[in-house]
Amino acid sequence: MSSEFVVQSAYNKQPSDWRSPAQYVFSHIRRHPFVAIMLMIGAISNAALAAALFYFIGTAYNAVIDWQRGQITQEDAFAVVIGIVTAVVISQLIRATLMFVRNYAAEMYGQRVERDVRDELYSNLLGKSMDFHDKRPIGEIMARVTNDVRELNLMMNPGLNLIFGSGMFLIMPLLFTPFISWQLTLTPLLFMIGYITAQYQYVSSLHRVAQDVRQSFGEMNASLAESLDGVEIVKGAAQEDSEINKFNKLVDYVYGKFVEQGDIEALYLPLLIWGIALVAGFAHSLYLANVGSILPGDVVRFMGYLSLFGFPVFVSQFAFSQVALGYASAKRIVSILNTETTLDQNKGGHNEPMAGAITFDGVSFHYDEGKVIIHDVSFNVEPGQTIAIVGQTGAGKSTLTKLINRTYDVTEGSIAIDGINVKNWDMQSLRSQISIIEQDVFLFSRTIAENIAFGVEGATPEDIERAAKMAQAHDFITSFPEGYQTVIGQRGVTLSGGQRQRLAIARAFLTDPKILILDDSTSAIDSATEDKIQRAIWTAAEGRTTVLITHRLSQIRWADHIVVIKKGYVVAQGKHEDLLQSSEAYRRIFARYENPTRAAAGAPAPQAGD
Amino acid sequence: MAIMFRGLEEDNYDRQYTDLQLYRRIGDFFAKYKGQLLAVFGMAFAASVSLSIRPVIIAAGVGAIDQRTEISTISLLVGALLVTVLVEYFGNWVRRRIAARAIGGVVARMRKDAFESAINRDLSFYDTNKSGKVVSRITSDTQEFGTIVLLSSDIISQLASVFVLVAILFSRNAQLTWIVLALSPFIVGGSMVFRHFARITTRNGARALGLVNDNIQESVAGIAIAKNFRQEAAIYDKFNEVNTTSYNVNMVRGLVLSLIFPVLNALAGIAFGVIIYFGARAVLAETVTADTWYLFIQSVDRFWFPFITLSAFISQFQQGLSSAERVFALIDAENTLNQTGENPVNERLHGEIAFKDVAFGYKADEPVLNSFSLNIAPGEDVAFVGHTGAGKSTVAKLISRFYEFQAGDLLIDGQDIRSFDLQAYRQQLGIVSQSPFLFSGTVRDNIRYGRPDASDDEINAIAHSIGDGDWLDTLPNGLDSDVGERGARLSMGQRQLVSLMRVLLQKPSIFILDEATASIDPFTETQIQEALDLILSQSTSILIAHRLSTVRSADRIIVLDHGNIIESGNHDELMAQGGHYAELYNTYFRHQSLSYIENAQAYFSNGHDAPEGVEPEIEPEAGN
Repeated sequence: MSSEFVVQSAYNKQPSDWRSPAQYVFSHIRRHPFVAIMLMIGAISNAALAAALFYFIGTAYNAVIDWQRGQITQEDAFAVVIGIVTAVVISQLIRATLMFVRNYAAEMYGQRVERDVRDELYSNLLGKSMDFHDKRPIGEIMARVTNDVRELNLMMNPGLNLIFGSGMFLIMPLLFTPFISWQLTLTPLLFMIGYITAQYQYVSSLHRVAQDVRQSFGEMNASLAESLDGVEIVKGAAQEDSEINKFNKLVDYVYGKFVEQGDIEALYLPLLIWGIALVAGFAHSLYLANVGSILPGDVVRFMGYLSLFGFPVFVSQFAFSQVALGYASAKRIVSILNTETTLDQNKGGHNEPMAGAITFDGVSFHYDEGKVIIHDVSFNVEPGQTIAIVGQTGAGKSTLTKLINRTYDVTEGSIAIDGINVKNWDMQSLRSQISIIEQDVFLFSRTIAENIAFGVEGATPEDIERAAKMAQAHDFITSFPEGYQTVIGQRGVTLSGGQRQRLAIARAFLTDPKILILDDSTSAIDSATEDKIQRAIWTAAEGRTTVLITHRLSQIRWADHIVVIKKGYVVAQGKHEDLLQSSEAYRRIFARYENPTRAAAGAPAPQAGD
Repeated sequence: MAIMFRGLEEDNYDRQYTDLQLYRRIGDFFAKYKGQLLAVFGMAFAASVSLSIRPVIIAAGVGAIDQRTEISTISLLVGALLVTVLVEYFGNWVRRRIAARAIGGVVARMRKDAFESAINRDLSFYDTNKSGKVVSRITSDTQEFGTIVLLSSDIISQLASVFVLVAILFSRNAQLTWIVLALSPFIVGGSMVFRHFARITTRNGARALGLVNDNIQESVAGIAIAKNFRQEAAIYDKFNEVNTTSYNVNMVRGLVLSLIFPVLNALAGIAFGVIIYFGARAVLAETVTADTWYLFIQSVDRFWFPFITLSAFISQFQQGLSSAERVFALIDAENTLNQTGENPVNERLHGEIAFKDVAFGYKADEPVLNSFSLNIAPGEDVAFVGHTGAGKSTVAKLISRFYEFQAGDLLIDGQDIRSFDLQAYRQQLGIVSQSPFLFSGTVRDNIRYGRPDASDDEINAIAHSIGDGDWLDTLPNGLDSDVGERGARLSMGQRQLVSLMRVLLQKPSIFILDEATASIDPFTETQIQEALDLILSQSTSILIAHRLSTVRSADRIIVLDHGNIIESGNHDELMAQGGHYAELYNTYFRHQSLSYIENAQAYFSNGHDAPEGVEPEIEPEAGN
């Protein structure tokens, strides 16, 4: 599988299995065999010692009965009781210790699986190319790496811990009962069959309705949030009543689902089956004791064994849903891990300094079959020229530019830099000579100086300051009390879009790329800021090939080449003068400026100054 | 986490209810369900009693063996046990079914009341209260309250069973009962100590995990940069560090949590030993029977766990009550608007607006407008300009009747704005805000929002009246395109266009525009302006303008400064005066002028010759 980045971590030595969610979880469990053994020993002995408690109590009871029947002396009976008390206390202390071992082992599993899966997922995400990342909102990836990874932890503990632990409580009565009488095993045996069937049905019917509940709640929440966010529009359009009706319907729907879930939960059959088992076991053991084939203390023991079933009956509902949630999370994680990305590092490809000539030759691009984003685009840029890409949001402008540094690969046609197909360039060499400044400039929560020098080895403070000055950023940086050492995002330091953009431009001055791609959609509130942004961009464009995605008429007006894009098609290209001739839409834009008062023609009030 | 910080997040409409008021209020909501509640508690009690007498029957059965009793006595005991099992199961079944309906019904009622209150609050309410927090009151707080009520009915039934059991035990042997009771404080105290440590370690664990999540959030958001500069390895190292720390910190928490039940079980083991010992002594001294002794052994762990759950429940119960309090505060929140009448509004207002000595401040001690007077003629287009805080949007908001003013008069068509029926009045306003908001649905639904009765033909006609419907080509499905949540699938420019279409369809008497500052591609921009021109020709317009072209198309420009009108006139007149407007022009609008565009290259490229401070000249652009 190709990856842009591979990390050498401990988890690579024993790679996990990505074939299915279950295999994936198992491969992580297998990694810590010692913990698994601790967990098993803890769970088995905990259940066995819980059953032993009732065995001891029965023995004490028998001793007392024997004394009452005159078969042993009071001293003997008391000696037995003392022995039993000692045995009970010691066995229960050991049991507590082993229970701790079980819990701690399960906890260790949970935490380790969480740590390892997160690590694996994280380095896998770093290695995925941008065609993967651009298609997914950050929120979705965060949900995988935080919530889903957490669910895997909870799936281990309490989920699997309780299922395994309570499973032992199902088995122990079956193992201990034959020592009293093999006939008595009938009840625990029938209980197990009944319990497993009922539990399975319960979990599956609850699963369905729980999903409905979550979904209906989510719908109600989303619709509510929207109504209140748009409250100004609601009021402006006097639509309060219709919003109330809409919301009430959703509330009633949630109510219906809530009741449905409540009814299923109320009917939890394993509880009744357990009760019936107690009654049946009681009758059976009393009968056997009454005919003298077992002792009264055996009845005490047996009823104690049956009470062990209470643990699985009460916790399994919770434990199963925890495991089901974890399984669903594992499924989502595996699907991310298995998503193929197409690009690799292409080491050993073309590796020369760039001149900066860009040639698009019949380039088409689509993410998924059928939904073409770029159609048959061709143009030429000479080294050092500035090209403006103009068009509506969603027309494909930024996708077009991202094909240049192979953020995505073209589906048809080809892109060449200095005459060499970008696919034949070494990835490192290609990307290090092309800078992309995106519309939303991302800054790390580090100092301003570190952000400017990001990715530049050995930049001196002087270099950084010079770059900041050229990018018209020096003034606002020094207006912060800590200047270049100001940490972004801390103590309320936030930067406007224009300031972020200028920091990114400063970074470009340091890295000195041959091709600069700038998505300039920042609006300036005032003219002085506009002057600064313009000056920074014009300076940055000097001496390098510059691709500008821009809404600024002043940049469009003076670009060496303008490409107008609409829905992925080039609808016009050339210089300003050419476009005024060839494009009606382009002419309209400038027509408004030539004759601004034409705009208000038709207004009822007379225009002063006309 | 949200629960932990709840107390810190008070809102200004929150109020303190006394416990009595709170319970009474909750009682009102449940009043409809009196019968059901009675049934819930009745069933809970029946189920608990059955649960408590179960060990008595079992002990009696074991005791009966010794006396070689008739088979009929055994059958009787077995039958009695069966009855307790059935009563407990079906009692709980009925209880939970009824409880789901009663509690679900109350929660639904609370949600409806809370939403109705929220949607009817003034906009000033939403200035100070984020809608997200209001949402959580309506959905989560009500949910939490419901959970607490359900839990309460569980807890009450558990406690009832404990009391019944204690009563039975006392009736058998007081001394042994006291011993059992004397052991409880150890269990309850032990569980409380653990809860304390669990809370501390959980908080640390959550913090460490928070750092990991922050780290991932930042890396994922900045992944394009990291890749451009090939910094993956450095980023990974940072992640690895916090991830490992989080593992270590959370293992400490795991240690504490893993200890709780083993320790409680160890204590229970000791308690078993104690009861076996003292019980056996009593039996051997012939003060109690063997089956009574067995009854006590069976009861050892029965009534500790209800106490442990109870101690956890108390703090949860408090949270549930404060959830209810927050919901009630929202339901009881009041408007500041003071409508004196509910006069129906004329078929169509002319759109004449008169401010007479209006005084207004968002806060009582910070006046924004002092004795503000202004007349706007029907059909006039007035643009307001001025620095931030000059009072531009305040004027617009007062006309929208989103806020109450403190003194003076505001007359619309000569009538007091306070005398209108608000909904009817607002139906005659067309409002487009700075960040236009769309509801999920299609473009068509959104255009129709203010006039649900509009036909498809009308909407088509309006959509095609702008730029020959060119903008529809850029949408995937034309008018039937899904706009996504809050309109997220449309660009800012498209959202503005849709909002303007909404107003065009509505044909309001008064149009209020707070122009967006976002940069929009020149093609969409041209169409937005076409739509604006059309609206301006139909309505009295109040424009808070950020675009030069909008300011220039106004009939009258009003220059505001600290709530006062300092200049007024059209663009050319005001420019000629060379006063405050000319200064505002130079600050905000200069870069939108044609001469700026035409001269940009000369000023900024080629070694940026133009010295700092020398601005491109202000050209007399109008009229050419």
